[in-house]
Amino acid sequence: MRLPKFEYLGPKTVQEACSLLAQHGDKAKVMAGGTDVLNVMKERKIRPEYLIGLRAISDLSYIKADADGIKIGALTTLTDLANSAVVKEKFPCLAEVPMKMATVQIRNMGTIGGNLCNAAPSADTAPILICLGAKAKIAGPKGERVVALEDFFTGPGKTVLGKGELLVEIQVPNQPAKTAGAYLKMSRVSVDLAIVGVGVVVTREGDSCKDIKITLGAVAPTPIRAKKAEAVVKGKKIDDALLEEAGKIASQEAKPIDDVRGSAFYRTEIVKVYTKRAIKQAMEQAK
Amino acid sequence: MKRLIHLKVNGEPYEVAIHPYRTLAEVLREELDLIGTKEACKQGDCGSCTVIMDGKTVTSCLTLAVEAEGREIRTIEGEAKNGKLSPVQQAFVDHGAIQCGYCTPGMVMSATALLEQNPKPTEHDVRMGIAGNICRCTGYTKIVEAILALAEGGKK
Amino acid sequence: MTQAQQVDRKLSPAAGFWLRNREVLKKEFSVIGTRVPRIESKNKVTGEARYAADMKFPGMLYGKILRSPYAHAKIISIDTSKAEKLPGVKAVVTGKDTIGARYGLWRLREETMDEQGLALDKVRYVGDEVAAVAAIDEDTAIEALDLIDVKYDVLPALLTPEDAVKDGAPEIHEGIKNNISVNRRIEVGNVDTAWDKCDFVMSDTFKTQVVQHVPMENLASVSIFDSTGKLTVYTSTQSAYFVQCLLAMALGMKEGDIRIIRTFTGGGFGCKLELMGDAFCSALLSKVTGKPVRIAYTRRETFVNSRQKTSMKMDVKVGVKKDGKIHAVEFSTTLDGGAHHSYNVTTTMITGILGTLPYRIPNYRYNGRHVYTNLPVTGAMRGHGAMQPVFALDHMIDLIAKQIGVDPAAMRIMNATQPGDVKIPNICHVSSCGLQEAIAGSAERMNWREKYGKLPDGHGLGIGSYGFFCGALYNYFNTKRPYAECWVRVNQDGTVHIFTLMAEIGQGCDTVISMIVAEVLGVGLDAVTIKSDDTGIVTGDTGAFSSRTTMMAGNAAKAAAEDARRQLFIAAGAKLGLKVQDAFDIKDGNIFIVRTGESMTIAEAAMAHQNANKGAPVLGRGIFTPSSHLQEGTVVSPTWSFGSQVLEVKVDKETGQVSVLNSATAHDCGIALNPLAVEGQLEGSIHMALGYALTEICKFDDKGYMINANFQDYKILSALDMPPVDSIVIDTDDIHGPFGGKEAGEGLTIPTAPAIANAIYDAVGVSIKSLPITPEKILRALKEKEGK
Repeated sequence: MRLPKFEYLGPKTVQEACSLLAQHGDKAKVMAGGTDVLNVMKERKIRPEYLIGLRAISDLSYIKADADGIKIGALTTLTDLANSAVVKEKFPCLAEVPMKMATVQIRNMGTIGGNLCNAAPSADTAPILICLGAKAKIAGPKGERVVALEDFFTGPGKTVLGKGELLVEIQVPNQPAKTAGAYLKMSRVSVDLAIVGVGVVVTREGDSCKDIKITLGAVAPTPIRAKKAEAVVKGKKIDDALLEEAGKIASQEAKPIDDVRGSAFYRTEIVKVYTKRAIKQAMEQAK
Repeated sequence: MKRLIHLKVNGEPYEVAIHPYRTLAEVLREELDLIGTKEACKQGDCGSCTVIMDGKTVTSCLTLAVEAEGREIRTIEGEAKNGKLSPVQQAFVDHGAIQCGYCTPGMVMSATALLEQNPKPTEHDVRMGIAGNICRCTGYTKIVEAILALAEGGKK
Repeated sequence: MTQAQQVDRKLSPAAGFWLRNREVLKKEFSVIGTRVPRIESKNKVTGEARYAADMKFPGMLYGKILRSPYAHAKIISIDTSKAEKLPGVKAVVTGKDTIGARYGLWRLREETMDEQGLALDKVRYVGDEVAAVAAIDEDTAIEALDLIDVKYDVLPALLTPEDAVKDGAPEIHEGIKNNISVNRRIEVGNVDTAWDKCDFVMSDTFKTQVVQHVPMENLASVSIFDSTGKLTVYTSTQSAYFVQCLLAMALGMKEGDIRIIRTFTGGGFGCKLELMGDAFCSALLSKVTGKPVRIAYTRRETFVNSRQKTSMKMDVKVGVKKDGKIHAVEFSTTLDGGAHHSYNVTTTMITGILGTLPYRIPNYRYNGRHVYTNLPVTGAMRGHGAMQPVFALDHMIDLIAKQIGVDPAAMRIMNATQPGDVKIPNICHVSSCGLQEAIAGSAERMNWREKYGKLPDGHGLGIGSYGFFCGALYNYFNTKRPYAECWVRVNQDGTVHIFTLMAEIGQGCDTVISMIVAEVLGVGLDAVTIKSDDTGIVTGDTGAFSSRTTMMAGNAAKAAAEDARRQLFIAAGAKLGLKVQDAFDIKDGNIFIVRTGESMTIAEAAMAHQNANKGAPVLGRGIFTPSSHLQEGTVVSPTWSFGSQVLEVKVDKETGQVSVLNSATAHDCGIALNPLAVEGQLEGSIHMALGYALTEICKFDDKGYMINANFQDYKILSALDMPPVDSIVIDTDDIHGPFGGKEAGEGLTIPTAPAIANAIYDAVGVSIKSLPITPEKILRALKEKEGK
């Protein structure tokens, strides 16, 4: 399988990248690690005239902690995210996610920005980031803007990025005390895309769940919050019956489809089970 | 339009004129005749084309050659030095970790990078480290044994 | 390490009783039975080994094949003019450029030959070969494919055997009514009257899926026609001989004018056994252009356009006595053959043999039918014709055992095939058989007695057993019996050259053949060089399939080495003053007279031979065909391997996910000639078979297009998914095998699927009768069970 023909553009700054994007519009495609984009191009699903490679933009790969939380450059590789001491310390549930994704080689190449902008419903980094209230910093011809990651996805392969815009940074805010999360992924084998991904972040108070966010992956056109399930749990003392109920409600919020990886039936069942388990695991972690 | 790029492979400088839509795997195999790097899926899923770039493994089938410019690339051809197999290569031979041999170069590169980054891997570390390399012949057992035998302090 | 030490190392003291043939182990071998890393290891581990797609020749062109987008259609017209005009394109060929010959593996049964290199008038599956292009580079060839204009008249696609056999369904191959092309039947005893004598009878239906062999190396060939009109093809193949013969048929040439050179071959498992589009189209394009042409398959092409494993729907009825003794089995199966026969003419028969091999079945009826469909061609794959029926029957045994209250392992030992059994008169006769020992051994290793039925909810133990060919004997090619030929030349410097055509495809036969020859000639492996890749040297071997390498090529090599040794002895005898009563021995590179200890080196003997024979070197020739001890034309294998496997699983009852926690396999491969290789075969077999049982399936959309012809969605297990693998070698010293060796390549793939199904049944009480056993199937079955 060989790549179709294209012209390669290698901007050195974000500015330059945005203006190239604005200039070439639909004829151009942005590439970060390349692990998704080059594959769909090999399959001839897209045939951009210009491929804008971001590799030369050196200042987009970083993880910085500040008073508000951490900021992750969009070109940070999944390996770097997994190995980051500051992420491990502040958001262990986020640091664990990359190790559930793909393979060593792909994690060495693939970036957090690429995973999000590819906007697969099964994107593994999205659920936990959404639960953590992460924001996406977007650069564009008119300057920068920040959107909640929850609002970033608009459909399979689609995001809010407009013409000439580029995702440059993920911002993860500090969490209240006794907050922890869990991401559970159902896949066919160890190395696989998610059939279902469930991200949960809870803030614990005694045996109760003071606050909770639940995000479901691979069961709707975009990652979705299970807000009704959250409402069932929020402020309550956690017991098995409540967890069962939360799982059931979450599974009703999911809108899965049948595809080559799994059926809607199975996905619904797994949302039920994994929501329950993820809440339980997150509550344990939040002690 | 073809571009002139400079690659450093196994310590040797190369200058090649290539189209931007050429992958590193294609350039290694077709332009530099380094056919030890294999391609079995060309979609980044099998790991046969694994090379080490700036100390980290990548699938060269999903790496554009133009983006490999100026980076240190290691392929299987550079692992044996002066006719002597690298420790990883020797362990693969001794432990019967090779059958059809097609995944072997990529597997050796993954194992090499793993041991360089983590000289004392557990069995799980080893399995994680080679999870991106599919082998259809061995069931991985003897490959894992070979790598563990090189882990500092012997097996496990 | 000697053979005896090796085997003892593998056995716990309590397990000693498995060895029925202990005197064998007293034999001292110097090479046989030692753990030998494969002799081509260094070529492979350094990356210097050249596989077919690595071959490059001056002036070489690159070929690509245009494939049908429709599952079933008539070709109205093909316009290649635009493609021909594309700069860089050197040739475009279609069916009209072929001689239109039909070819197939059953050359003596012409009516079964149903393939053509390029479609003439009709396409029969999505991916069927329509045209081929040769260009100066691969990109140009790909671009040219888009410029070929094919007009089709689309016909109804028959994507299931159920649809294909309906009255009025279109004929996929003209004249094959209801698309049923092969019917095979086996009768033993009297099934009709047997049911009344059974205490318990159970019927059920089982299904297996289509999977693909997935050798890591995709198919590839480079064809070179030279100016004399002779053809050389470098190709990745299990059988250079079949490629040679089929190419001769397809191109209308003499076999002797075609030379096939097998390059390093990166796995095969059954999908590189015949003539495929890579070799045929590159040969045709080379003929037209006069240049070397290389065609390398993509992964999708290997998935869709080589071969796939035959899916089966099996109706099974089993009757037993109340103690668990099997009394009668009726087994009917429909094979989904896809668009062409490939090996399925054979498969339709051997399914009926291999299904019955592990157990004694006094009354047995088998009906097999092969149905054409508009899907990719299915055929032989590792565990050929055995994985499907054994899944059905061996799972059924557990269902019955549960019903009648018998321990499944005990039921297997009670029914197990034993040495000397005649399974099917004139078809399947057993010589050595260590199945009872294997069942007991694998069960014991996994603490069956303590664990079976007693593990906590969600945990279970399952067992599966099997038997397999050691070189099937169908005379589907030219001779009455297949044969293997080998030459062994001993050079003046004491080095030994072996010439054979048995294909090293990763299974280790270059090594084991070299070991056999080294053992006979008393030399170290470092003195031996093997050449096994060229039909231009030795023609007499049909290649690596049907687990025939050790039995067939191994015996031929042993005979050739013995012939060479005889010549050395004669030469040495003349020099050393041999007396009538003297015996020779050959060891460590020396020949000596046992009585006197007088000796000379093999090199000296080789030189003496050459001096005495006008310069002709020592050249031993060995031919092996099993006909001397078997009835001609009937018996299908000289001997059979047997074995048993026990797996422990954990089932997550809320998700249906299965984890395999542990495994033990006892394999009767005769004497393990190279234990390192036997272990490698076992470990690899479990990997492939677990995929078959749990995750692997080729999926097609409603137009017949394979939707997961990639590793993203065709799930092969990674290193993270593998359970611990424990192996027990059961030695039985087979009388037919070289040094008592039998097969170890395919049989080992058979027990895993039933063992998994049985372990799940033990763990959570649901029986899954279709493969792969996905978490979803288990979850649905659990819900259904709860609902009841």
